[in-house]
Amino acid sequence: MLRGTLRSFPANGHAAFLPQIRKLVFECCDRWPSSETTRNYLFTRLVGLARDNPHVEIVVRQRVHREPIVRGFYINNRDKVIPLNGLSLAEITQKVHLLLDSSGAKIKPLKRRTVESNTESVRGIWSGLHADRPDL
Amino acid sequence: MLARLARTVPALCRAVHTQQPASTAAALELIRSQPSHYIIANFVGRKYILTPRDVLTVPRLRDVKVGDVLTLDEIHELGSREYTLRGNPTISPSRVRVQATVVEHTKGKMEFIFKKKRRKGYQKTITHKQPYTRLRIGEIEIPIESSS
Repeated sequence: MLRGTLRSFPANGHAAFLPQIRKLVFECCDRWPSSETTRNYLFTRLVGLARDNPHVEIVVRQRVHREPIVRGFYINNRDKVIPLNGLSLAEITQKVHLLLDSSGAKIKPLKRRTVESNTESVRGIWSGLHADRPDL
Repeated sequence: MLARLARTVPALCRAVHTQQPASTAAALELIRSQPSHYIIANFVGRKYILTPRDVLTVPRLRDVKVGDVLTLDEIHELGSREYTLRGNPTISPSRVRVQATVVEHTKGKMEFIFKKKRRKGYQKTITHKQPYTRLRIGEIEIPIESSS
């Protein structure tokens, strides 16, 4: 048995669950009209969002003369950026919830990966030398 | 004839030490004595073979939040290396307890669906990302029945 196979794999949610998102950064311009809805969101819904998600650090930054964005930082050191120009209030709320629900992992095809398991097979692997000899 | 006898001896040996246990509690005791277990559980209408610590991906569950803990209540089979307990049709939740934690709500990779009717000038590309919910399966708990 190689020493490298004796490691343990992280299993978030097995014994304890750690939310994967750590910080949300809202960046918008104070003057440009493309940031109008984002500014409205920050004034009306941001405090409620912060209260509902105490595990997330929420930061508001100025992004002068640029389009508004929201950036989510995750525990695996990756970040997700979503531009918010042209979105309504409800759509901005939807994008923020998308960031809050995500784990930060790269988007990968999930259609065929129903059960992902590192556990060895419980009933053992069939061996022809230890089975009944077939009667033909 | 000797060859036929030699073939039946291992089967006889196996029959001697695998007798049907007297009660469900005895069967669970046998299963609990072994190191690893699996369950066959029904979740959102589909059956899965699950072991502790694995990640189950199902289509997005809309009424569930990230971090919520769900109890699997339709367990059809509980097994270990040498013993299996099959429910009729399910095992009672007081005998086996398995919980699953919602880890995330994600979307899959972008799919491009291309539609075309030839010689008619009709073609379009639909982009689609299927939303999923991923759950982490917790330990399979077989509580010791205290006789009351």
